[in-house]
Amino acid sequence: MIEFQDVTVYYPKSNEPALSHINLTFQQGEFVCVLGPSGAGKSTMIRTVNALQPVTAGNIFIDGQDLDNWTSLEKRQWRSRTGMIFQHFHLIPRLSVEQNVLTGLFGYKHPMAAFAGVFSQSEKKKARSILQQVGLGEMAERRVEWLSGGQKQRVGVARALMQEPDVFLGDEPVASLDPGTAQSIFALLKDVHVRNDLTTIINVHDVALARSFATRIVGLSHGKVIFDGKPDELTESGLEHIYGTVLQA
Amino acid sequence: MSWFRKRVWLYAVLLGLFTWWSMGKTEFEVSSFQEFSNAYSFIHDRFLPASWEILPTLIDPILVTLAVAFLGTFIALLIALPLSFAAAKNTAGNRLFYYFNRFFLSVLRSVPEIVFGLIFVVVLGLGPFPAVMAILLHNIGVLGKLISELIEAADAGPQEAMQSVGAGRRIGNLFSILPQIWPNVLSHYFYRFEVAIRTSLILGFIGGGGIGQKLFNDFNSFNYTAVTVEVLLIMLLVIIVDLFGAFVRKRVI
Ligand SMILES: Nc1ncnc2c1ncn2[C@@H]1O[C@H](COP(=O)(O)OP(=O)(O)OP(=O)(O)O)[C@@H](O)[C@H]1O
Ligand SMILES: [Mg+2]
Repeated sequence: MIEFQDVTVYYPKSNEPALSHINLTFQQGEFVCVLGPSGAGKSTMIRTVNALQPVTAGNIFIDGQDLDNWTSLEKRQWRSRTGMIFQHFHLIPRLSVEQNVLTGLFGYKHPMAAFAGVFSQSEKKKARSILQQVGLGEMAERRVEWLSGGQKQRVGVARALMQEPDVFLGDEPVASLDPGTAQSIFALLKDVHVRNDLTTIINVHDVALARSFATRIVGLSHGKVIFDGKPDELTESGLEHIYGTVLQA
Repeated sequence: MSWFRKRVWLYAVLLGLFTWWSMGKTEFEVSSFQEFSNAYSFIHDRFLPASWEILPTLIDPILVTLAVAFLGTFIALLIALPLSFAAAKNTAGNRLFYYFNRFFLSVLRSVPEIVFGLIFVVVLGLGPFPAVMAILLHNIGVLGKLISELIEAADAGPQEAMQSVGAGRRIGNLFSILPQIWPNVLSHYFYRFEVAIRTSLILGFIGGGGIGQKLFNDFNSFNYTAVTVEVLLIMLLVIIVDLFGAFVRKRVI
Protein backbone atom coordinates (compact mmCIF):
# COMPACT_ATOMS: atom_id res chain seq x y z
CA MET A 1 0.00 0.00 0.00
CA ILE A 2 1.26 3.44 -0.95
CA GLU A 3 -0.14 6.38 0.93
CA PHE A 4 0.32 10.07 0.08
CA GLN A 5 -0.42 12.33 3.04
CA ASP A 6 -0.61 16.00 2.21
CA VAL A 7 2.37 15.74 -0.15
CA THR A 8 3.74 18.96 -1.58
CA VAL A 9 6.73 19.27 -3.89
CA TYR A 10 8.52 22.45 -4.85
CA TYR A 11 11.38 22.38 -7.32
CA PRO A 12 14.34 24.56 -6.37
CA LYS A 13 13.93 28.21 -7.42
CA SER A 14 10.25 27.73 -8.24
CA ASN A 15 7.40 29.58 -6.56
CA GLU A 16 4.64 27.30 -7.81
CA PRO A 17 4.44 23.83 -6.30
CA ALA A 18 4.70 20.96 -8.79
CA LEU A 19 2.51 18.95 -6.39
CA SER A 20 0.26 20.57 -3.85
CA HIS A 21 -1.30 18.81 -0.83
CA ILE A 22 -1.77 15.43 -2.47
CA ASN A 23 -3.75 12.86 -0.49
CA LEU A 24 -4.03 9.48 -2.20
CA THR A 25 -3.90 5.85 -1.23
CA PHE A 26 -2.95 3.15 -3.72
CA GLN A 27 -3.94 -0.39 -2.78
CA GLN A 28 -2.14 -3.55 -3.74
CA GLY A 29 -3.51 -4.77 -7.09
CA GLU A 30 -4.84 -1.47 -8.37
CA PHE A 31 -4.16 -0.41 -11.96
CA VAL A 32 -4.13 3.38 -11.75
CA CYS A 33 -3.85 5.71 -14.72
CA VAL A 34 -2.90 9.30 -14.00
CA LEU A 35 -4.27 11.86 -16.43
CA GLY A 36 -3.48 15.53 -16.67
CA PRO A 37 -2.26 18.23 -19.00
CA SER A 38 1.40 18.95 -19.56
CA GLY A 39 2.98 20.40 -16.44
CA ALA A 40 0.26 19.04 -14.15
CA GLY A 41 2.81 17.18 -12.03
CA LYS A 42 2.33 13.62 -13.30
CA SER A 43 6.03 12.85 -13.69
CA THR A 44 6.79 14.48 -10.38
CA MET A 45 4.21 12.34 -8.60
CA ILE A 46 5.47 9.09 -10.14
CA ARG A 47 9.02 9.96 -9.16
CA THR A 48 8.11 10.66 -5.55
CA VAL A 49 6.78 7.11 -5.22
CA ASN A 50 10.21 5.54 -5.67
CA ALA A 51 12.01 8.42 -3.95
CA LEU A 52 13.72 9.69 -7.07
CA GLN A 53 12.08 12.99 -6.19
CA PRO A 54 12.14 14.10 -2.54
CA VAL A 55 9.02 15.71 -1.15
CA THR A 56 9.07 19.22 0.27
CA ALA A 57 6.27 18.69 2.77
CA GLY A 58 3.93 15.87 3.76
CA ASN A 59 4.66 12.16 3.92
CA ILE A 60 4.59 9.09 1.74
CA PHE A 61 3.98 5.81 3.54
CA ILE A 62 5.00 2.51 2.00
CA ASP A 63 3.16 -0.29 3.80
CA GLY A 64 2.81 2.03 6.75
CA GLN A 65 6.42 3.15 6.88
CA ASP A 66 7.40 6.75 6.27
CA LEU A 67 9.64 6.93 3.20
CA ASP A 68 11.19 10.07 4.59
CA ASN A 69 12.74 8.19 7.52
CA TRP A 70 14.53 5.70 5.35
CA THR A 71 18.27 5.72 4.85
CA SER A 72 19.55 6.04 1.30
CA LEU A 73 20.28 2.31 1.32
CA GLU A 74 16.71 1.53 2.33
CA LYS A 75 15.45 3.83 -0.42
CA ARG A 76 17.63 1.96 -2.89
CA GLN A 77 16.20 -1.34 -1.70
CA TRP A 78 12.71 0.07 -2.15
CA ARG A 79 13.59 1.13 -5.70
CA SER A 80 14.84 -2.33 -6.48
CA ARG A 81 11.33 -3.59 -5.65
CA THR A 82 9.79 -0.89 -7.83
CA GLY A 83 9.85 -1.37 -11.58
CA MET A 84 9.73 1.76 -13.70
CA ILE A 85 9.33 2.37 -17.42
CA PHE A 86 9.80 5.61 -19.30
CA GLN A 87 8.58 7.48 -22.35
CA HIS A 88 11.98 7.36 -23.97
CA PHE A 89 12.69 3.84 -22.68
CA HIS A 90 16.07 4.77 -21.16
CA LEU A 91 17.73 1.56 -22.24
CA ILE A 92 21.48 1.24 -22.12
CA PRO A 93 22.86 1.62 -25.61
CA ARG A 94 25.51 -0.73 -27.00
CA LEU A 95 24.25 -3.54 -24.80
CA SER A 96 22.09 -6.40 -26.01
CA VAL A 97 18.45 -6.90 -25.15
CA GLU A 98 19.33 -9.63 -22.66
CA GLN A 99 22.10 -7.55 -21.06
CA ASN A 100 19.66 -4.68 -20.63
CA VAL A 101 17.17 -6.98 -18.96
CA LEU A 102 19.86 -8.29 -16.60
CA THR A 103 20.64 -4.73 -15.44
CA GLY A 104 17.26 -5.00 -13.70
CA LEU A 105 19.13 -7.07 -11.10
CA PHE A 106 21.62 -4.32 -10.27
CA GLY A 107 19.70 -3.42 -7.15
CA TYR A 108 20.42 -6.88 -5.76
CA LYS A 109 23.94 -7.44 -7.05
CA HIS A 110 27.25 -6.78 -5.41
CA PRO A 111 28.91 -3.94 -7.38
CA MET A 112 31.82 -6.15 -8.39
CA ALA A 113 29.50 -8.88 -9.67
CA ALA A 114 27.48 -6.27 -11.56
CA PHE A 115 30.65 -4.76 -13.02
CA ALA A 116 32.00 -8.11 -14.14
CA GLY A 117 28.62 -9.18 -15.49
CA VAL A 118 28.49 -12.29 -13.32
CA PHE A 119 25.00 -13.77 -13.52
CA SER A 120 23.94 -17.23 -12.48
CA GLN A 121 22.35 -19.73 -14.86
CA SER A 122 19.02 -19.30 -13.14
CA GLU A 123 19.18 -15.52 -13.52
CA LYS A 124 19.91 -15.87 -17.23
CA LYS A 125 17.13 -18.40 -17.58
CA LYS A 126 14.75 -16.02 -15.87
CA ALA A 127 15.76 -13.20 -18.22
CA ARG A 128 15.03 -15.47 -21.19
CA SER A 129 11.65 -16.49 -19.89
CA ILE A 130 10.70 -12.87 -19.21
CA LEU A 131 11.74 -11.97 -22.75
CA GLN A 132 9.54 -14.80 -23.95
CA GLN A 133 6.70 -13.37 -21.89
CA VAL A 134 7.02 -9.87 -23.40
CA GLY A 135 7.29 -11.32 -26.89
CA LEU A 136 10.98 -10.79 -27.51
CA GLY A 137 12.11 -14.40 -27.20
CA GLU A 138 14.01 -14.28 -30.47
CA MET A 139 15.70 -10.93 -29.85
CA ALA A 140 17.83 -11.62 -26.77
CA GLU A 141 21.14 -11.14 -28.59
CA ARG A 142 20.07 -8.10 -30.59
CA ARG A 143 21.52 -4.71 -29.72
CA VAL A 144 18.82 -2.46 -28.31
CA GLU A 145 19.48 0.44 -30.69
CA TRP A 146 18.24 -1.62 -33.59
CA LEU A 147 14.81 -2.26 -32.08
CA SER A 148 11.58 -0.46 -32.92
CA GLY A 149 9.98 1.80 -30.31
CA GLY A 150 7.47 -0.81 -29.27
CA GLN A 151 10.18 -3.45 -28.94
CA LYS A 152 12.30 -1.06 -26.89
CA GLN A 153 9.45 -0.51 -24.47
CA ARG A 154 9.03 -4.28 -24.19
CA VAL A 155 12.67 -4.43 -23.14
CA GLY A 156 11.90 -1.70 -20.61
CA VAL A 157 9.06 -3.80 -19.23
CA ALA A 158 11.27 -6.89 -19.15
CA ARG A 159 14.00 -5.01 -17.27
CA ALA A 160 11.44 -3.89 -14.70
CA LEU A 161 10.02 -7.44 -14.40
CA MET A 162 13.52 -8.76 -13.78
CA GLN A 163 13.40 -6.81 -10.52
CA GLU A 164 10.45 -8.94 -9.37
CA PRO A 165 8.72 -5.73 -8.38
CA ASP A 166 5.77 -5.19 -6.06
CA VAL A 167 5.00 -1.90 -7.73
CA PHE A 168 5.08 -0.93 -11.38
CA LEU A 169 5.47 2.72 -12.38
CA GLY A 170 5.21 4.19 -15.86
CA ASP A 171 5.95 7.75 -16.92
CA GLU A 172 4.05 8.09 -20.19
CA PRO A 173 5.37 4.77 -21.43
CA VAL A 174 3.41 4.87 -24.69
CA ALA A 175 3.62 8.57 -25.54
CA SER A 176 6.23 7.94 -28.25
CA LEU A 177 4.42 5.00 -29.80
CA ASP A 178 1.77 4.70 -32.49
CA PRO A 179 -1.79 3.90 -31.31
CA GLY A 180 -1.67 0.21 -32.21
CA THR A 181 1.66 -0.33 -30.49
CA ALA A 182 0.50 1.71 -27.50
CA GLN A 183 -2.52 -0.57 -27.22
CA SER A 184 -0.39 -3.70 -27.31
CA ILE A 185 2.03 -2.32 -24.68
CA PHE A 186 -0.93 -1.55 -22.40
CA ALA A 187 -2.25 -5.05 -22.95
CA LEU A 188 1.17 -6.35 -21.92
CA LEU A 189 1.20 -4.12 -18.83
CA LYS A 190 -2.24 -5.35 -17.86
CA ASP A 191 -1.16 -8.95 -18.32
CA VAL A 192 1.97 -8.37 -16.23
CA HIS A 193 -0.13 -6.57 -13.65
CA VAL A 194 -2.59 -9.41 -13.24
CA ARG A 195 -0.02 -12.20 -13.26
CA ASN A 196 2.21 -10.61 -10.63
CA ASP A 197 -0.52 -8.93 -8.56
CA LEU A 198 1.25 -5.58 -8.85
CA THR A 199 0.28 -2.10 -7.84
CA THR A 200 0.53 -0.30 -11.16
CA ILE A 201 0.59 3.47 -11.53
CA ILE A 202 0.95 4.87 -15.02
CA ASN A 203 0.86 8.37 -16.52
CA VAL A 204 -0.95 8.59 -19.84
CA HIS A 205 -2.05 11.24 -22.26
CA ASP A 206 -4.43 8.89 -24.04
CA VAL A 207 -7.76 9.01 -22.24
CA ALA A 208 -9.23 6.09 -24.18
CA LEU A 209 -6.35 3.84 -23.10
CA ALA A 210 -6.81 4.88 -19.48
CA ARG A 211 -10.53 4.19 -19.68
CA SER A 212 -10.12 0.73 -21.13
CA PHE A 213 -7.29 -0.53 -18.92
CA ALA A 214 -7.38 1.28 -15.59
CA THR A 215 -9.25 0.14 -12.50
CA ARG A 216 -8.96 3.68 -11.22
CA ILE A 217 -8.20 7.06 -12.77
CA VAL A 218 -6.57 9.99 -11.02
CA GLY A 219 -6.78 13.42 -12.67
CA LEU A 220 -4.13 16.00 -11.89
CA SER A 221 -4.10 19.65 -12.76
CA HIS A 222 -1.72 22.32 -11.47
CA GLY A 223 -0.32 19.87 -8.96
CA LYS A 224 -3.71 19.06 -7.43
CA VAL A 225 -5.89 15.96 -7.56
CA ILE A 226 -9.10 17.03 -9.26
CA PHE A 227 -10.49 13.63 -10.14
CA ASP A 228 -10.21 10.28 -8.43
CA GLY A 229 -12.55 7.46 -9.31
CA LYS A 230 -13.47 4.52 -11.49
CA PRO A 231 -13.10 4.88 -15.27
CA ASP A 232 -16.85 4.93 -15.82
CA GLU A 233 -17.22 7.74 -13.30
CA LEU A 234 -15.08 9.97 -15.51
CA THR A 235 -17.59 12.02 -17.47
CA GLU A 236 -17.01 14.42 -20.35
CA SER A 237 -17.32 17.36 -18.00
CA GLY A 238 -14.91 15.69 -15.61
CA LEU A 239 -12.42 15.42 -18.48
CA GLU A 240 -12.93 19.04 -19.38
CA HIS A 241 -12.28 19.86 -15.76
CA ILE A 242 -8.93 18.02 -15.91
CA TYR A 243 -7.76 19.33 -19.25
CA GLY A 244 -9.82 22.50 -19.55
CA THR A 245 -8.39 24.44 -16.66
CA VAL A 246 -5.09 24.78 -18.42
CA LEU A 247 -6.78 26.14 -21.53
CA GLN A 248 -8.39 28.89 -19.49
CA ALA A 249 -5.16 29.76 -17.71
CA MET B 1 17.16 44.31 -41.38
CA SER B 2 20.55 42.99 -40.55
CA TRP B 3 21.70 39.53 -39.53
CA PHE B 4 24.25 41.09 -37.24
CA ARG B 5 23.73 43.03 -34.09
CA LYS B 6 25.58 46.33 -33.90
CA ARG B 7 27.92 44.95 -31.29
CA VAL B 8 29.31 42.51 -33.87
CA TRP B 9 31.04 45.42 -35.65
CA LEU B 10 32.75 46.42 -32.44
CA TYR B 11 34.03 42.83 -32.03
CA ALA B 12 35.26 42.87 -35.63
CA VAL B 13 37.23 46.07 -35.04
CA LEU B 14 38.71 44.69 -31.80
CA LEU B 15 39.70 41.47 -33.54
CA GLY B 16 41.32 43.47 -36.36
CA LEU B 17 43.31 45.52 -33.86
CA PHE B 18 44.46 42.42 -32.00
CA THR B 19 45.60 40.83 -35.27
CA TRP B 20 47.55 43.94 -36.21
CA TRP B 21 49.16 44.06 -32.77
CA SER B 22 50.11 40.37 -32.95
CA MET B 23 51.73 40.88 -36.33
CA GLY B 24 53.90 43.63 -34.89
CA LYS B 25 54.88 41.46 -31.94
CA THR B 26 55.86 38.53 -34.17
CA GLU B 27 57.61 40.58 -36.86
CA PHE B 28 55.12 39.19 -39.30
CA GLU B 29 55.91 40.73 -42.66
CA VAL B 30 54.35 39.87 -45.95
CA SER B 31 57.54 40.83 -47.79
CA SER B 32 59.35 37.98 -46.03
CA PHE B 33 57.23 35.48 -47.92
CA GLN B 34 59.78 35.76 -50.75
CA GLU B 35 62.26 34.01 -48.48
CA PHE B 36 60.17 30.87 -48.66
CA SER B 37 61.63 30.16 -52.08
CA ASN B 38 64.95 29.84 -50.27
CA ALA B 39 63.39 27.14 -48.14
CA TYR B 40 62.68 25.23 -51.31
CA SER B 41 66.26 25.36 -52.54
CA PHE B 42 67.52 24.66 -49.01
CA ILE B 43 65.46 21.51 -48.85
CA HIS B 44 66.22 20.51 -52.42
CA ASP B 45 69.98 21.01 -52.13
CA ARG B 46 70.64 19.84 -48.61
CA PHE B 47 67.93 17.31 -47.69
CA LEU B 48 67.92 15.27 -50.86
CA PRO B 49 68.62 12.58 -51.76
CA ALA B 50 67.53 10.93 -48.53
CA SER B 51 70.08 8.56 -47.00
CA TRP B 52 67.90 5.49 -46.92
CA GLU B 53 70.85 3.36 -45.84
CA ILE B 54 70.38 4.57 -42.21
CA LEU B 55 66.90 3.07 -42.11
CA PRO B 56 67.89 -0.09 -40.17
CA THR B 57 69.43 2.02 -37.39
CA LEU B 58 66.12 3.91 -37.03
CA ILE B 59 63.98 0.87 -36.33
CA ASP B 60 64.75 0.76 -32.64
CA PRO B 61 64.38 4.53 -32.01
CA ILE B 62 61.02 4.70 -33.82
CA LEU B 63 59.77 1.76 -31.79
CA VAL B 64 60.90 3.56 -28.64
CA THR B 65 58.93 6.62 -29.77
CA LEU B 66 55.87 4.48 -30.42
CA ALA B 67 56.19 2.84 -27.00
CA VAL B 68 56.64 6.18 -25.22
CA ALA B 69 53.57 7.68 -26.86
CA PHE B 70 51.44 4.58 -26.30
CA LEU B 71 52.44 3.92 -22.71
CA GLY B 72 52.16 7.55 -21.65
CA THR B 73 48.69 8.03 -23.11
CA PHE B 74 47.35 4.58 -22.25
CA ILE B 75 48.22 4.77 -18.56
CA ALA B 76 46.87 8.32 -18.63
CA LEU B 77 43.59 6.98 -20.03
CA LEU B 78 43.35 4.33 -17.31
CA ILE B 79 43.79 6.98 -14.64
CA ALA B 80 41.70 9.66 -16.36
CA LEU B 81 38.63 7.44 -16.86
CA PRO B 82 37.68 7.03 -13.18
CA LEU B 83 38.95 10.51 -12.40
CA SER B 84 36.70 12.11 -14.98
CA PHE B 85 33.61 10.62 -13.33
CA ALA B 86 34.76 12.39 -10.18
CA ALA B 87 35.26 15.60 -12.17
CA ALA B 88 31.88 15.69 -13.92
CA LYS B 89 29.03 17.67 -12.37
CA ASN B 90 26.44 14.95 -12.87
CA THR B 91 28.46 12.09 -11.39
CA ALA B 92 30.85 13.60 -8.82
CA GLY B 93 28.24 13.37 -6.06
CA ASN B 94 29.75 16.11 -3.96
CA ARG B 95 30.19 19.72 -5.09
CA LEU B 96 33.47 20.30 -3.29
CA PHE B 97 34.91 17.02 -4.54
CA TYR B 98 33.92 18.02 -8.07
CA TYR B 99 35.65 21.40 -7.89
CA PHE B 100 38.73 19.83 -6.35
CA ASN B 101 39.07 17.28 -9.16
CA ARG B 102 38.41 19.89 -11.85
CA PHE B 103 41.15 22.03 -10.36
CA PHE B 104 43.55 19.11 -10.09
CA LEU B 105 43.01 18.24 -13.76
CA SER B 106 43.51 21.79 -14.93
CA VAL B 107 46.74 22.05 -12.95
CA LEU B 108 48.05 18.91 -14.67
CA ARG B 109 46.94 20.25 -18.02
CA SER B 110 48.46 23.67 -17.55
CA VAL B 111 51.98 22.28 -17.20
CA PRO B 112 53.32 21.58 -20.71
CA GLU B 113 54.94 18.24 -21.36
CA ILE B 114 58.26 19.91 -22.06
CA VAL B 115 58.33 21.36 -18.53
CA PHE B 116 57.51 17.99 -16.96
CA GLY B 117 60.15 16.55 -19.30
CA LEU B 118 62.87 18.98 -18.22
CA ILE B 119 62.14 18.18 -14.58
CA PHE B 120 62.02 14.41 -15.01
CA VAL B 121 65.14 14.28 -17.17
CA VAL B 122 67.00 15.80 -14.25
CA VAL B 123 65.28 13.72 -11.57
CA LEU B 124 65.00 10.38 -13.37
CA GLY B 125 67.95 10.67 -15.74
CA LEU B 126 68.09 10.76 -19.55
CA GLY B 127 66.11 8.29 -21.65
CA PRO B 128 62.55 7.43 -22.61
CA PHE B 129 61.22 6.93 -19.08
CA PRO B 130 61.04 10.66 -18.20
CA ALA B 131 59.34 11.21 -21.56
CA VAL B 132 56.68 8.63 -20.66
CA MET B 133 56.09 10.33 -17.31
CA ALA B 134 55.82 13.78 -18.89
CA ILE B 135 53.28 12.61 -21.47
CA LEU B 136 51.43 10.62 -18.82
CA LEU B 137 50.89 13.50 -16.41
CA HIS B 138 49.89 16.05 -19.00
CA ASN B 139 47.48 13.64 -20.66
CA ILE B 140 45.73 12.74 -17.42
CA GLY B 141 44.79 16.40 -17.34
CA VAL B 142 43.76 16.56 -20.99
CA LEU B 143 41.85 13.27 -21.18
CA GLY B 144 40.29 13.87 -17.77
CA LYS B 145 38.84 17.16 -18.98
CA LEU B 146 37.67 15.83 -22.34
CA ILE B 147 36.06 12.71 -20.87
CA SER B 148 34.40 14.57 -18.00
CA GLU B 149 32.81 16.87 -20.57
CA LEU B 150 31.52 13.86 -22.47
CA ILE B 151 30.07 12.56 -19.21
CA GLU B 152 28.32 15.86 -18.54
CA ALA B 153 26.82 15.88 -22.03
CA ALA B 154 25.57 12.28 -21.80
CA ASP B 155 21.83 11.61 -21.90
CA ALA B 156 20.55 11.48 -18.31
CA GLY B 157 17.79 8.98 -19.13
CA PRO B 158 19.71 5.74 -18.63
CA GLN B 159 21.11 7.17 -15.40
CA GLU B 160 17.57 7.62 -14.10
CA ALA B 161 16.74 4.09 -15.21
CA MET B 162 19.70 2.68 -13.29
CA GLN B 163 18.69 4.68 -10.24
CA SER B 164 15.19 3.34 -10.48
CA VAL B 165 16.28 -0.31 -10.56
CA GLY B 166 18.07 0.44 -7.29
CA ALA B 167 21.62 0.23 -8.63
CA GLY B 168 24.39 1.76 -6.54
CA ARG B 169 25.54 5.19 -7.64
CA ARG B 170 28.89 4.07 -9.04
CA ILE B 171 27.63 1.07 -10.97
CA GLY B 172 24.62 3.02 -12.15
CA ASN B 173 26.74 5.87 -13.46
CA LEU B 174 29.24 3.55 -15.07
CA PHE B 175 26.67 1.49 -16.94
CA SER B 176 24.43 4.35 -17.94
CA ILE B 177 27.20 6.63 -19.17
CA LEU B 178 30.21 4.67 -20.38
CA PRO B 179 28.39 2.86 -23.21
CA GLN B 180 27.11 6.21 -24.47
CA ILE B 181 30.47 7.96 -24.54
CA TRP B 182 32.75 5.04 -25.38
CA PRO B 183 33.27 5.77 -29.11
CA ASN B 184 34.07 9.39 -28.35
CA VAL B 185 36.44 8.35 -25.58
CA LEU B 186 38.31 6.24 -28.11
CA SER B 187 38.36 9.13 -30.57
CA HIS B 188 39.90 11.41 -28.00
CA TYR B 189 42.32 8.72 -26.95
CA PHE B 190 43.63 8.07 -30.44
CA TYR B 191 43.96 11.75 -31.12
CA ARG B 192 46.00 12.19 -27.93
CA PHE B 193 48.09 9.14 -28.91
CA GLU B 194 48.87 10.80 -32.22
CA VAL B 195 49.71 14.10 -30.53
CA ALA B 196 51.93 12.21 -28.09
CA ILE B 197 54.02 10.88 -30.96
CA ARG B 198 54.81 14.43 -31.99
CA THR B 199 55.36 15.46 -28.38
CA SER B 200 57.76 12.62 -27.78
CA LEU B 201 59.88 14.01 -30.65
CA ILE B 202 60.24 17.30 -28.82
CA LEU B 203 60.98 15.41 -25.61
CA GLY B 204 63.69 13.60 -27.58
CA PHE B 205 65.33 16.97 -28.16
CA ILE B 206 65.90 17.30 -24.41
CA GLY B 207 67.21 13.77 -23.99
CA GLY B 208 64.00 11.78 -23.91
CA GLY B 209 65.31 9.19 -26.39
CA GLY B 210 63.52 7.78 -29.41
CA ILE B 211 63.60 9.06 -32.95
CA GLY B 212 63.27 12.65 -31.74
CA GLN B 213 66.69 12.49 -30.16
CA LYS B 214 68.14 11.04 -33.39
CA LEU B 215 66.49 13.78 -35.40
CA PHE B 216 67.82 16.48 -33.14
CA ASN B 217 71.36 15.10 -33.23
CA ASP B 218 71.36 14.75 -37.00
CA PHE B 219 69.96 18.23 -37.44
CA ASN B 220 72.59 19.75 -35.18
CA SER B 221 75.38 17.96 -37.01
CA PHE B 222 74.05 19.17 -40.39
CA ASN B 223 73.25 15.60 -41.38
CA TYR B 224 70.19 16.73 -43.29
CA THR B 225 69.80 13.76 -45.62
CA ALA B 226 69.36 11.58 -42.51
CA VAL B 227 66.82 14.06 -41.14
CA THR B 228 64.76 13.53 -44.30
CA VAL B 229 64.47 9.81 -43.63
CA GLU B 230 63.61 10.41 -39.99
CA VAL B 231 60.89 12.93 -40.80
CA LEU B 232 59.32 10.62 -43.40
CA LEU B 233 59.39 7.76 -40.93
CA ILE B 234 57.65 9.88 -38.28
CA MET B 235 54.98 10.89 -40.76
CA LEU B 236 54.46 7.24 -41.60
CA LEU B 237 54.07 6.37 -37.91
CA VAL B 238 51.52 9.12 -37.35
CA ILE B 239 49.50 7.98 -40.35
CA ILE B 240 49.59 4.36 -39.19
CA VAL B 241 48.34 5.30 -35.73
CA ASP B 242 45.61 7.42 -37.29
CA LEU B 243 44.49 4.59 -39.56
CA PHE B 244 44.54 2.14 -36.69
CA GLY B 245 42.43 4.53 -34.61
CA ALA B 246 39.90 4.83 -37.42
CA PHE B 247 39.79 1.04 -37.69
CA VAL B 248 39.19 0.56 -33.97
CA ARG B 249 36.49 3.25 -33.84
CA LYS B 250 34.70 1.67 -36.75
CA ARG B 251 34.64 -1.63 -34.93
CA VAL B 252 33.11 -0.26 -31.72
CA ILE B 253 30.40 1.98 -33.17
N1 LIG C 1 13.66 19.57 -12.72
C1 LIG C 1 12.75 20.55 -12.62
N2 LIG C 1 13.11 21.77 -12.14
C2 LIG C 1 12.21 22.75 -12.03
N3 LIG C 1 10.91 22.63 -12.34
C3 LIG C 1 10.49 21.45 -12.82
C4 LIG C 1 11.39 20.35 -12.98
N4 LIG C 1 10.69 19.29 -13.46
C5 LIG C 1 9.41 19.72 -13.59
N5 LIG C 1 9.29 21.01 -13.22
C6 LIG C 1 8.05 21.79 -13.18
O1 LIG C 1 7.14 21.13 -12.34
C7 LIG C 1 5.84 21.13 -12.89
C8 LIG C 1 5.33 19.72 -13.05
O2 LIG C 1 6.15 19.04 -13.97
P1 LIG C 1 5.97 17.52 -14.38
O3 LIG C 1 7.12 17.15 -15.22
O4 LIG C 1 5.73 16.72 -13.17
O5 LIG C 1 4.64 17.59 -15.26
P2 LIG C 1 3.96 16.46 -16.16
O6 LIG C 1 2.55 16.40 -15.74
O7 LIG C 1 4.77 15.22 -16.12
O8 LIG C 1 4.03 17.12 -17.61
P3 LIG C 1 4.25 16.39 -19.04
O9 LIG C 1 2.93 15.85 -19.43
O10 LIG C 1 4.66 17.53 -19.93
O11 LIG C 1 5.31 15.36 -18.87
C9 LIG C 1 5.94 21.88 -14.21
O12 LIG C 1 5.50 23.19 -13.98
C10 LIG C 1 7.40 21.85 -14.54
O13 LIG C 1 7.77 23.01 -15.24
MG1 LIG D 1 5.93 14.19 -17.52
